[in-house]
Amino acid sequence: MGRILIVDDTMFMRTLLKNILFSGGHDIVGEAADGAEALAKYRELKPDLVTMDVVMPNVNGIEALKAIKAADPAAKVIMCTAVGQEQMVKLAVKSGARGYIVKPFQAPKVLEEVKNVLSA
Amino acid sequence: MKSVPVKVEHEGKWIPTTMGIGEDRFRIDTPLEREVLYKSVVDLEAKKNQVVITAGAEGEFIYRIASVEKVLAVLKKFIITQASAYRLNAFFMSPAIRGGVLIQNAQWEKGAIAVMKTGIWFVSQENQVCIPLEDVTGIELTSREIQEKDLDVVKIDHLSENEVVTSFVLCPMTTLQVLYNFLKEATRDTEVNEEIDPLAGQVAMLVYSGMDSSAIENMLKLSHKDLDAIYEKLLGMGLAEVLYVRKEVQLTPKGVRYISETVKSPME
Repeated sequence: MGRILIVDDTMFMRTLLKNILFSGGHDIVGEAADGAEALAKYRELKPDLVTMDVVMPNVNGIEALKAIKAADPAAKVIMCTAVGQEQMVKLAVKSGARGYIVKPFQAPKVLEEVKNVLSA
Repeated sequence: MKSVPVKVEHEGKWIPTTMGIGEDRFRIDTPLEREVLYKSVVDLEAKKNQVVITAGAEGEFIYRIASVEKVLAVLKKFIITQASAYRLNAFFMSPAIRGGVLIQNAQWEKGAIAVMKTGIWFVSQENQVCIPLEDVTGIELTSREIQEKDLDVVKIDHLSENEVVTSFVLCPMTTLQVLYNFLKEATRDTEVNEEIDPLAGQVAMLVYSGMDSSAIENMLKLSHKDLDAIYEKLLGMGLAEVLYVRKEVQLTPKGVRYISETVKSPME
C-alpha cells in the first residue's frame, strides 16, 4: 500500500480518486490543485506515488511532472487526463511518467495500475 | 478437409461429433450432417469456448459449436475472411485502453475488419477480436498521433466484462467514414439525446467509476432520498439499470432486547 499525493484542479476528480485509492487501502497524504502546489507538496510530503492531472491552470501536469522528476528522479507519477488527449502520452512518458489513466476511469483498473507502478 | 473433434448443440443438448474445416466450407458430421459454405455465413458470435454461426440468406441456419480455442480460431478466421459481410483492410489497436488505463504496450496490427450482423470482427495474423454491437458504448471519428503524424481514426468503446474497452481503427478516410456511419446507425439505440443535469451527470460518472450508493452520498453530500430521485431519473432515461435493492431496517423491540442482552456483562 502506498502514500499517495493526488493532483487535479477539480475537487470532484480529487474526491473520486481519493475514494478509489482509499478503498484500495492506500494512504492519501495530500492533495494539490495545480502543478506548482504539486511540486511544493511533493517536496514536503515525499509520497510513494503521485496521480497527476495533465490539464491544469498555472503550471500544467507535464511541467509539474518534469519539475518533480528533476527534484527526485525516482519519483513515481501516474498521469491522468481526459479522453481525446492521449497524444500527451508520449510527452508524459518521455518526461518520466510511469503510467497513464484516461478519464473516465474505473476503480479496479486504477487500483491495478497504481499497484503495478508502486511495485515496479 | 481437416477433421477435428467438436461439440454441437442439437435439440437443446451438446453432442460430441467431428467437424471438417476446409478452404471454402465447413462440415458438421452426425447428428447434423451439414456442409456450409463460408460465404453463406451472415453472422458470427463468439462466447467462451464456443461460436454461434448464422448462415443462409434469411439467417435461417444457426449452428452452435464448442471446441478448443485453437480449432475455433481457425474456423473463425475462415469465416471472417469469407463470410457475407462488409469487410475492409485496416490497422487496428484493440484493446488500447481498458477501464481508463492506457495499455502502454498496445500495438497497431495489420489485418481486416468484418462488420457482421451482431458485431465487428478485427482479425490479424495473431488476433481475433469481436466487439458485439449491443456492447458498443461510444463511437468517435478522431485523430491520433501515429509515427509523428496526426491521422484520422475511428475510436470504438465497448463494454467487456464490466470494463470499458477502447479500440482504434486506422484506414483511408473514405473507408473510415463508411465504418463510422455504419456504426453510428447500428448503435443509434444507445445514443443519448436528452439533456442530463450536472448533478445527475456527476452521479452517473461516480457509478461508472465503481462507487456505491453510500460513497456517492458522502462525496456529493446527498441524502438517501435525493440520490434515489437521481437514480430514478437515470433509470427513466435508460442510462442505468437496477443491480439490486438494498434494505434499510430498524430494530423491533425484540431486536432491541436481543442487543441489550448481548451487551450485558457477565457480572450483571
